[in-house]
Amino acid sequence: MIKSYKLRRIISNALIYILLGGLGLIWISPLVYMIIHSFRADGGAFYSHILPWPNADGVRFTLQNYVDLFTKADNTANFPQWFLNTFIIAIFSCIISTLAVMMVSYAFSRLRFPARKPLINVGMILGMFPGFMTMIAIYYLLKALGILQLPHLALIICYSAGAGLGYQISKGFFDTIPRALDEAATIDGATKNQIFWKIILPMSKPIIVYTILTSFIGPWTDFVLAKIIVGAQGQQYYTVAIGLQIFIDKEHKSAYFKQFLAGSVVVAVPITALFLFLQRYYVEGVTAGGVKG
Amino acid sequence: MKYIDYVQLNPFQKFWYNFKNAMIALPSNIGKVFKAIGRFFKKIFVGIGKGFAGYFTRFVKGDWATKLSYIIMGFGNIVRGQIGKGIIFLATEIAFILFMVTGLGQVGLGWSGIYNLGFFNNGKIGFHEKAYWAVDEVTGRRVHMPADNSMKLLLYGVMTLVIIALFIVIYVAATKSAYKVQQMKAAGEKPQSFKEDVAALLDEKFHVTLLAFPTLTISIFTILPLIFMILIAFTNYDQSHNFFQWVGFETFGQIFATTGASALKGKTFLELTKWTLVWAVFATVLNYILGMVVALMINKKGIKLKALWRTLFVVTVAVPQFVSLLLMSQMLDFNNGAINLVLQHLGIIKEPINFLGDLSHPWIARITVIVVNIWVGIPYTILITSGILMNIPADLYESATIDGAGPVRSFVSITLPYMLFVTTPYLITTFIGNINNFNVIYLLCGSAQQSNELYRAGYTDLLVTWLFNLTTVSGDYNLAAAIGIMVFIVCATVSLLTFNLTKSAKNEEEFS
Amino acid sequence: MKKFVALVLAVLMMASVLVACGGGNNGGNAGNTDTPKGDTPAESLEIENGAKLLVWSADKAVDLTKKLCEDFKAANADKNIEIEVQVQGEDAAATQLLKDPDAAADVFSFASDQLSRLLKADSLAPVFSAKDVIARNSEDSVTVATVDGELMAFPETCDNGYCLIYDKSVVSDEQAKTLEGVLEACKAAGVKFVIDAGNGFYSCMFPFTGGLKIDGIKDDVQQFNDYNEDEVVATLKAFSDLFHKYSDIFMSSEDSRINAGFQETPHTVGAGIDGPWNVTADLAALGDNFGAAKLPTINVKGEDKQIISLHGFKYIGVNAVSKYPYAAQALADFLTNKQSQVERAKAVAWAPSNTEALSDPAVTENAALSAIFEQKQYSVLQSGIAETFWTPMGALGNYLWQESANDEASIKAQLEKAIMLIKDE
Repeated sequence: MIKSYKLRRIISNALIYILLGGLGLIWISPLVYMIIHSFRADGGAFYSHILPWPNADGVRFTLQNYVDLFTKADNTANFPQWFLNTFIIAIFSCIISTLAVMMVSYAFSRLRFPARKPLINVGMILGMFPGFMTMIAIYYLLKALGILQLPHLALIICYSAGAGLGYQISKGFFDTIPRALDEAATIDGATKNQIFWKIILPMSKPIIVYTILTSFIGPWTDFVLAKIIVGAQGQQYYTVAIGLQIFIDKEHKSAYFKQFLAGSVVVAVPITALFLFLQRYYVEGVTAGGVKG
Repeated sequence: MKYIDYVQLNPFQKFWYNFKNAMIALPSNIGKVFKAIGRFFKKIFVGIGKGFAGYFTRFVKGDWATKLSYIIMGFGNIVRGQIGKGIIFLATEIAFILFMVTGLGQVGLGWSGIYNLGFFNNGKIGFHEKAYWAVDEVTGRRVHMPADNSMKLLLYGVMTLVIIALFIVIYVAATKSAYKVQQMKAAGEKPQSFKEDVAALLDEKFHVTLLAFPTLTISIFTILPLIFMILIAFTNYDQSHNFFQWVGFETFGQIFATTGASALKGKTFLELTKWTLVWAVFATVLNYILGMVVALMINKKGIKLKALWRTLFVVTVAVPQFVSLLLMSQMLDFNNGAINLVLQHLGIIKEPINFLGDLSHPWIARITVIVVNIWVGIPYTILITSGILMNIPADLYESATIDGAGPVRSFVSITLPYMLFVTTPYLITTFIGNINNFNVIYLLCGSAQQSNELYRAGYTDLLVTWLFNLTTVSGDYNLAAAIGIMVFIVCATVSLLTFNLTKSAKNEEEFS
Repeated sequence: MKKFVALVLAVLMMASVLVACGGGNNGGNAGNTDTPKGDTPAESLEIENGAKLLVWSADKAVDLTKKLCEDFKAANADKNIEIEVQVQGEDAAATQLLKDPDAAADVFSFASDQLSRLLKADSLAPVFSAKDVIARNSEDSVTVATVDGELMAFPETCDNGYCLIYDKSVVSDEQAKTLEGVLEACKAAGVKFVIDAGNGFYSCMFPFTGGLKIDGIKDDVQQFNDYNEDEVVATLKAFSDLFHKYSDIFMSSEDSRINAGFQETPHTVGAGIDGPWNVTADLAALGDNFGAAKLPTINVKGEDKQIISLHGFKYIGVNAVSKYPYAAQALADFLTNKQSQVERAKAVAWAPSNTEALSDPAVTENAALSAIFEQKQYSVLQSGIAETFWTPMGALGNYLWQESANDEASIKAQLEKAIMLIKDE
């Protein structure tokens, strides 16, 4: 009886290992594909081999794609500049967004005032309109406000202006912090301002990291809004997402596809590293805030 | 079921019981939703009414300084010592009047914003319908006389209206404030100083400080554009009408048309709505259940290298989707795509499969996008559920095993109800997220499924990708705006319904 | 106190509006602010002093455009002109201009498929020096851009068409004359034949070969000639049958795929229908085996029919709301004169629309351009083509090679649906 139980466990674990191994392989295969092919020496966008094939000189792998990416700034490509732009935009919009999210969710979670419920409802309602609906209007609005001449600022505003609406998860997190803490501090004579900065925020590391992470990644991955806002400007204002899209549009695909792969790796690797490094906080934040428990 | 029976159920049974009841009560719940919307608007109007009622009584009861504050904002405050506050009121009034009169030098702002909105030109937004080239009489040189840009005029008009509305709110508030100081003086109290007002902002009024900035940016960059786009749905703004006019509900008529010139649009809307809902259900449910199964496998006792397994899946979250999905679409390519090559090498298929572009069998592409979405979605589910799964009391499983339940059985009767109970809010957000899931469809399919059976859409298009195509490719702005509103209605209905459902479940939980 | 905040908000908002709007106002009013120069009633084309111009050019040609702009400045040194040249793809240029004319370039390059969009929005300034421009450019390049007797853009190139590009080691010159021959040759070599059948620019060749023609735009609706529907359907069926018969050879994919196939070792593509923009790369990949010819014929019910293509032009347009219309006109004129067109032919192999520049060796010795010119006689000119044309046409082409396109009735239904969608609005 005991033996058969053990045997069953071994078999079931073996099965699980096989399954996980197979699934894991499927899950990372596109990324492995991307990394391997970013070192490819021959071919362009369309490729009829699963793995890189030796080119006419018998070379299979090369660093040239990366070298081109960082050294060739021409009329089509200017990757270092794009990278810098995105980095600046991401840093600023991440700071502003995180502050806005923290402020809104703290107010909704810990403070009580007459307009609270209606405002929460308005926030929910606004979140239900598809974001694409307004992108053209935002362009004209930025233009009317004269911000369009400063493309970086315009994008920072785009990414952080509405950030306050993403309060749900961090509000959920704040809800889990016992109210007794606030009350004790109030008795000790602390103002609400002090409670926010000195008591609640230091306790909220996971959710702060979570918010920083998501808002930092945003500008790196957005290719729709960015294109609408800075599409009419010179390419020196592009973000990496627009730039990489240009690498693979019809005109440039055959010449720039390998650079596209290299660029994708250059963007994906730091974000992935950051993400894995901070994964613990991400999970804690989203678990505590995203569900009721 | 009587209350006494209900209390004896375990939490999961309670949840199922509530769930069942909620499903039975679905029609009446939908009714409630509409009632709730009605109440919401009623509240707004009643609130506005109250505000104005107070406005007149205050005027009657006010003394001369208060009465004068009705014309010169902040006068009462200044006279009675609240100088800082009074000056701000006054500055607002002056700024507002300047804005209305000059329009900041922009045609369409200020009074001309209202003038151009179509009240005086048969609903046409603007006056100059056609651009033309004139000849300067003196120089004999040509001068371009542009047509009015209705889009700009409408946007500026909406901005003007919003500023007027804001001003009215401040104006009423100013009269109230003036009356309040008058009363305080009469009662012998000392009105709070400007300094005290500011100090309050860091304590009992801290919410104002916190919310001021986000509210401002959200109002300008989210609400204002939204109002504008909602209005666009009631115009005939499209590629051929840069100068446009109000047409009422005509665009919505096209969406619901079954016959006539707009039948194709109606058919497309119906088809895409159906597919959007099917997609959202499958994408949400499959990701949820499969993700949980994988998470359970990773977290099973005795499985080693947990961190490695989790990382394998989670890495995909960090790679920008426009990269990973684009690679996916290359790998799924009909001609020499990696997946077809591998399947052919392995002898699983003889002919390559046209995963994304087979128009004769659109279900192939539909299944493909759902499967790819599993690839996208499972890592998120693993991230969210891992922690909670560990919280399920182990003795529940043990007793189930003793009762002879296999892994499937205990998943269905223990894990699933528990998780559903705990993660409903997450599920709602995911469902709405999937209704608006642009990336997977757009990056994967592009125009591969474009068909002349539908109006500028393909078989895998969701309402939101259709909206996107209509705005960026064919310029059917009014149609796109109307679809946006419909998407909103779908999302709002779904979430209000589920919200009611969970609320009832939650309340029951609380009293047991 | 709530009101107090609301008030601060409002002041802030208004302040931001005030500050922001004060600066960037150039409004919609492109009034001529030049001081009158005496009582000259006849139009003088003199360039405004101190004009600031923005130019959009495709990335391939941008270096040349920059150089030409410098030449232009040197030629008008007394006018203190400032010119900025930005990279903007030709499709993107029109899209951006339509989105926001005020922020767009004064002078920009675009292809004739964008013409109707630009005209509909009144975005183009007519050519002020029309007489000269008409005289020096080929007749059809002028016709396409003429609306109600007025020339609306400066012709720049005349080669926006496509031809057959093939690998001579796979397809012989003789086989390249018929579509059947091309496909058979590719089959023998086990390589692909590529047409971008899902792209309206290419796929319109299928119905055009059957006698369909575009016939201008009337009241925003695309018009067609009185075509014989049965003949069009029979032709579409012939294409469809061939695609099915050679389903492992025929590949519907974007034109850059042709070049990708030529680049691989061994080559995976034997031939394809490609445009001049890829030809330089094709030539580099194929070397001596590079072959270019007019489109082949197709056998429809026993009769060999020449495949009819769509032929267009590139233009340089002047933004109607340009603040310096005369300077912009002069620059556009300069960028499209004979000298500039010859330089362009030398630098990027774009065939000139200028009749004299056409005889330059840079043009006459280019095999692909000769093939395009030969095909041009069998083409429908891209004039008066509505914006709604492309997507339904692409979907029709994409349909033809699918499994369900197997009988004339369903092909006919698809053709009718495509025509209906094109005529929409």
